[in-house]
This record gives sequence, C-alpha cells and structure tokens, in this order.
Amino acid sequence: MARGTLIAANIGAIILAAAAFYVLAERQHAEREALRHAAVDLTPACRAKLDRYGLAASDVYRSPYLKQPVTARGYGEADVRAIQRGCNIVDDMQGELAATGDRERWNAKRFSRSHTASCDHCHQSLGDKQDAEGNRLVGSNSLAASWVMADMYDRFTGLLLPYELRQMQCYINSSNGFKPNAADDVLRDVTAYTRFLSAAVDLKIGNRYPEQGIDEIPVSATLRRGDDYVRGAHLYRENCARCHGPQGFGTTAGGKTVFPALAGPNSFSLDSRMNFARVNSVIPGFICRNMPPNEEGRLSNQDCRDIGYYISTLPRPAGDKQGPLAAAWQQLMMTVMPPLTGYADALGNSHVQPLDNDAAN
Amino acid sequence: MPPIRAAALGFASALPQIMPAARANLLIGLTLAVVTLPQAIAFSTTLAGLPPHFGIYAAIWGVLFSSLLNPSRVFSGGPNTTMSAAIGVTLLPLAPQYGAEYIGYALTLILLAGLIQLLFFLIRPLGRLLDLVNEPIINGMICGIGLFLIFKSLTTFAGLPINTQVEWPIWIALQSFQAMVEIGNLHAIQIGLVTLVTALVVRQLAPLKHWSILIGVAAGTAYSSWLKSRYGLETLLIEEIGNLASVGLVFPSIPLFSQEAMPEIIAIVPGAVTLALLGLFQTVAATRRLSRKVGGYTDSRKGIFSDAVSNCLLPFLSSLPTCASFNRMWLVYRLGGNSRITSIISAAFLLLMVLFLARVIAVIPMPAMAAIIMLLGANMIAWEDIKPHFSNRREAIVFTASFLSVLFFDLFGAVIVGSALAILYSKWEQAHPNISLHGDVLKIRGNIYYGSLPVIEKIYYEALGRSDKLVIDFSQAYYIDPEGLRWLAAARTAGHATFIDRRSGRDRRDHQAVSSEIAQQRRAKHDRRHKVEL
Repeated sequence: MARGTLIAANIGAIILAAAAFYVLAERQHAEREALRHAAVDLTPACRAKLDRYGLAASDVYRSPYLKQPVTARGYGEADVRAIQRGCNIVDDMQGELAATGDRERWNAKRFSRSHTASCDHCHQSLGDKQDAEGNRLVGSNSLAASWVMADMYDRFTGLLLPYELRQMQCYINSSNGFKPNAADDVLRDVTAYTRFLSAAVDLKIGNRYPEQGIDEIPVSATLRRGDDYVRGAHLYRENCARCHGPQGFGTTAGGKTVFPALAGPNSFSLDSRMNFARVNSVIPGFICRNMPPNEEGRLSNQDCRDIGYYISTLPRPAGDKQGPLAAAWQQLMMTVMPPLTGYADALGNSHVQPLDNDAAN
Repeated sequence: MPPIRAAALGFASALPQIMPAARANLLIGLTLAVVTLPQAIAFSTTLAGLPPHFGIYAAIWGVLFSSLLNPSRVFSGGPNTTMSAAIGVTLLPLAPQYGAEYIGYALTLILLAGLIQLLFFLIRPLGRLLDLVNEPIINGMICGIGLFLIFKSLTTFAGLPINTQVEWPIWIALQSFQAMVEIGNLHAIQIGLVTLVTALVVRQLAPLKHWSILIGVAAGTAYSSWLKSRYGLETLLIEEIGNLASVGLVFPSIPLFSQEAMPEIIAIVPGAVTLALLGLFQTVAATRRLSRKVGGYTDSRKGIFSDAVSNCLLPFLSSLPTCASFNRMWLVYRLGGNSRITSIISAAFLLLMVLFLARVIAVIPMPAMAAIIMLLGANMIAWEDIKPHFSNRREAIVFTASFLSVLFFDLFGAVIVGSALAILYSKWEQAHPNISLHGDVLKIRGNIYYGSLPVIEKIYYEALGRSDKLVIDFSQAYYIDPEGLRWLAAARTAGHATFIDRRSGRDRRDHQAVSSEIAQQRRAKHDRRHKVEL
C-alpha cells in the first residue's frame, strides 16, 4: 500500500514537473509572440535612417538610390516591424534607449559580457556610414554590403560561415559574450535589417563593394619601419584619449554609453581579430577609415598601425577558448592593476573632459 | 602470457557462460543499441565534424572489437563525447569539416592515438600512471559528465540548432535553457516531454523497469508520427534521425599519410596524445569504478590493450575512436546486465538495425533521442555514490574540484585538474602522519620522510619543551626514508629520545617493562599468527 502510494506520488511529481515546464515555455513563447506583433518604438537614429530610405508596408519597394524606375517586391507589416527591431538592436544593443529595457531588444544584452557594447560602435551610422555628400565610405564595415556577401568562407579555418554564424562571431568576440541560438529573433531581425539596407542602397548579391568590411593595412602599405608601441601610446593620447579615456575604458554619461571601450572589462575579447597579435592588419584598417569621427583619413597608415599595436596591448577580457587561467590574469590586469599603478592620474587626465555636443553625436 | 593469447583464451573460456547469459542480456543489448545509435550520430556530426556513418561504425565495430578484447564484465566501449569533441577541436584549423581532407586527417589522428595508446601498454610505468586517479575524482567527473550530457541535449530537446563552438558548458547551458523556453519548437518540446515522462513513469513500475527507455522512445516516436499526420512535417519542423540506408556492412578507409600532408600530421601529434590520454583515462577510470561496484577486479592493462588495438584498427573501417563509455556502462549496470555480452549483442543489433530497419529508425524524432540522453545523464548522478565523499573534508574538496572542472573547463581540463589533485592528495596524505603524545611517548602513525619530518619535528620539540626525555614509538610507521633515518639518529645521539618498536620486541629488551611471562605469551601468539600467514 505504502509502496503503491509512493509510486503514485512519484508519477504525480514527474507529470507535474513536466506540465510546469511546458506551461513556462508556453507563457514565454506567448510573450515573445506578443512582442513580435507589437508596434516598434524606434530610436531617433533609426527613425531618421528608415524614414530616409522610405521603409513602409506596401506591395512594392523602390530604393531612393535607383536611377531606373525598377521596383522590387515590398515589405509586409511583419517585415517592417522586424526591420525596425533589427535597426534598434544595431543602434542600441544594450537597450539604453528603450522604454522597457533590453526586453525590446530581444534580450540581446544577455549575449554580451560587455555592458556597453553595441553593433554601431564598429558598424558606424547604423552600418551605413556616409560622408556629407552621401557617398558610402571605403572600409566602413557596412552592414548592407555584408549582406550581399552573406555566407562567407572563414579566412582562417576555411569553414563556410552562414550569415547567422557571422553575427554570432560578433557576439562572442566583439562583445566578449555568448552565441545566441541560430534560431533566435535577435539574429533574424538584424538579418532583416541588413537585407533591407542592401536593398535600400541598391547593392547586388555576390558583389564586392569597397565599403564592405575593413580596408586592411598590411605592413606593405607602410614604409616598413616597424610598429612602434611608444609612438602608438603618444598618438593615442593625442588623438583618441579625449573620447575613449586615458586607459581606453570608454566613456559613459548618465548610464548611457557615449564612446565605446577599447580596453578593460567592457571591450572586445582577446580572441577578437581586432587584436594586433592575431591579425595585424585589421585594427589599423579600422582606425584609418573610421577614426576619429568626421576626420577619417587624417591619420597616416603608419600612425594607424602604431595606435592599433598600442591598443592591442591594453588589458581586455580573455576569450572563452583561452581558458580560465588567461581569464583570471586579464581580470587581474583590468580591475586590480589600474588603481594600483595610478596610470590615469599620472597622465593628469583621469577625469573625462567635458564634451561638446558635436563630439557626443 | 602474451596479451593477445590471453585475450583469446579469456574469450574462449567465457564462451560457455556467454550462451545462457546472452538470453538474459538480449533486451538490455537492444536497449543499449537504441541508446547508442543517436549518441553515435550526434557525436560524429556535431562534435567530430564527420559524416554520421563514422559514429555508427564506432557503435558497431568499435564496440565489438573492444568488448571482444577486454575481458572485463563491466566494460562497454564505443563512440565517446570527449574523444569526438577532441577530434573536432584538433582538426578545426586544418581543413573544412566533412571534407575529404578533413576525413583523412581524422583517420590519421585516430591511428596515431591508437599507436600512442599501444605505447602506454608496452611501457608499463606509463600505464601505471593512470592508476593514480582516485575515486572522488572519478565520481566527480562522472557527475560532471552526467550534467554535461543533460546540458548538451537541451537545444536538441527543444528542436533548436546546436551551438557547436567550444565555450564554457555551464554558460551554454544557461543560455540554452532560456532559448528553449523562449524560442524552442513547442512541438519538439511536447515530443521530448512525452518521451521523458513515459520513460520516467514506466521506470516506476517494477515489471516494466528495464523497458523504460525503449517504451519512452516508442511513445515519443508514436506521438511525433501522430503530430506529423495531423499537421505535416513542413509545419512541425521536427528533425528526425533520417535514412541510414546508404550505410553498408563495412566502409574501408585509409588514413592520410601523404608527403604533402606531413606538416599537418606533425601539427596534430599533440592532439593525438590528448585523444589517446582521454580515451585511456576514461577506460581505466570507468572500468575500475564499476568493477568495484559489482565486486570484481580487472587489470587496467587489459583495458589499455583492448583500446589501443581497437583504435589502431578502427581508422581502417571509417570509424570514430573507441573508449569506455561512462553513461552506457552505467545504464547496463543499472539494468543488471553483463556489459561485455550486452555490448556484443548491441553491436549485432545495431548492425541488423542499420542494414534492415533503416526506414523505421529514420522516423525516430531527435527530441525523443535528446530526452533519452538527458535520462542517461541523470542516471550517472547517484547520490549514494557521492555521499561517502562528503564525510571526509579532503575527499569532499577533491570531488567538488573535479566535478566543477568538468563544468567550467572541458574534459581535458578536468583530466589535468584531476591528476594534479590526485598527486597532491596522496602527497598531502603522506606528509601528514598521525602523531599523538601520551605522557612522554610520541607515537607516529604514517611515513617518516622528508615531507612529513617538519610536522614530526614541530610536535617533537614542543614535547621536548615539557620533558627532556622522550620515547618515540614508531611501531606504526610504514616507511622511513634516508633523511628520516638521519634525523632519528641525530635525535638519539642528542640523548633526548629513546625508540620503541613493538614489532621488533626492542621495547621489552630496553625497558623490561613487561614481565617475561607475558612476553613469552606474546611471542607464542606472534609465532602462531606468523604461521597462519605462512
């Protein structure tokens, strides 16, 4: 009798646990579904960009860039919302501008150990960087141009990386985080946004565009006098420290990120190809074509290499593949050492100088 | 006796027992085959980056070779999570996965690992090193792997793509669980839950206990077929095992050893050492752990031999490497079977299933398989095995460290941490002899050697501060090294200490503390005992 009761109780508990799990899953699904159908509260930058490109639900879509009167199939209501959400994520991954926080960004923050990282720190101007005349800039990490080369062979492993996997690399390395699942809305919406961008600026699938990726600066593009750490440190203080801080820890104001971190706990990880030690032509290329804002091209190739070399030696989080020892060491260098050495104070600019509005935008 | 002949003889002598036992083990063998199949496919495709037939052949030929060569009744070989993952990690930078080159390198890697394992068999002290890993470490790893299997199946359970990149498993688990409840395929979750609940409920009913996994899979498959007929596969989007009809009896292959591949082959040698060690370590640890549970003993060299030979043969048969599988051995143990016989039956069943039932296997949904793997993982965490470790503080620390290192590093990290801990543990044990002071008698139980001398000296000088004459009783000291001897000699020359050792009768001669009558009785008792021992 007692044994029978025990068995019945066990079976009851099993069924109850399974039911509870299913109910939990169903509620979370319903919540996501509601978010998918809710109207999107666009960030100011996204509203400006999407309005300019004329995103609206209709049967046909006509790119403002098209010279010929050719029309493409338009976007439905759900597509428009997906594109808008994707744009929001690119602009504000951490949900700093959202009324209800990162839930509106599909919890993208969850996949990032950095508390400040956002897509548009590297993919500037929402992945569609242009000069005053509306020309797209060379080597500006354009998201539109990234979509037209959607599935790429990895340069190092030779693996075919689908577009979703390429986005995952961003989460892992650039935000020192985790991979979203390949089926997650985060990836789908950002993909929808980049597809829309490529249609809006009228790029053709499979083509190579100069604004795609990074215009790398190998040693051969310099006078080959070697990469100089000391010169890099000097140039950094002259050109970069005002915004990125003396130690490259970035600038935040009122809980919102103003300038991203290049080093320290909120920066990209050691596994990222932005590190000189991994690929020595990527970060100089990024700096030369994208930095400082509105003065792109001011720094010479050698300057960019020196600065890149210097930045890469600053402490930053270890990548997951490097194991716990490297992680512990980097944590030590990032959190314990800076106050001990008083390096920022020694430079005499430990406090961020007041910023004028132009620089903050 | 040469090991090959020994193995052959062992097998021949086991034959008469095998025939009747085979009938009892038939059902367990079938269960094992059903459990091995999805693991084999999952390991080869998602972890090793090789086509599914590699896993299946490991589950057939790997299991068959290793169980024929290994006389242990608790051993069951076959494809293995860690080894598959090690292949993927080693070869990822060399060639695109699933490609012809990649497969060639994989075969070479497996062959190299087999040859290295053979070295471990031929050089005795190397093999003996594997014995230095103690029970808390093994149990910690078993629990860790159990939890790891559950985590690993979460995404498949919910019909989501698997995250393949190497990351810290514990974080992956958290993210996977959130992905499961938020974006998982609800139909997949239903199928998984039906399988899980059915298997768990059936396990509560004594007469059906051994059938629980089979019934679970059947229920999950039936439910999925019903859903399919109602909604259609295109709306369900459930992954199934798929048709294995292209897999034949054997699929010969040759490892890649061409001139131009040499630089890469040299580059994968460290990977081969890792692979070899991972396999041997698991085989030795798992066999020893389960042998003790069933109350038997198998020489670990036999396990090393069977693994080494199997892994030298398998790369010629398009197969993943083999080693002992904690989870499947645990399963057979729980079902009360003989692993050796069960494994042979399971290999035969798998071969028949793959040859003739490919169409039936094809419709088994992956979420049901994930549910079964989760059950296996849960089975590996047995509180009654863990509990004893928590009554001793040192064992508790070692167990916890080994358990956590599986979850936070990877299995290779756990092997390193475990081995380091094991050596530390035994050294620590030796360096802390049990010393007690009763009056002026200092009794030392343990080793007197350079490591423990400081501990002994401390108490010795403390005692000397109280009385200037001491008696050192080392009748329970097992080992004294030269340094210890010199120290004892110096202590005696200084005139502070006299020694007693009750084993030699020296104390009686020195002190005349006991009467001659009692001494005679004791001597007689000692002689009697000695005779019995002789």
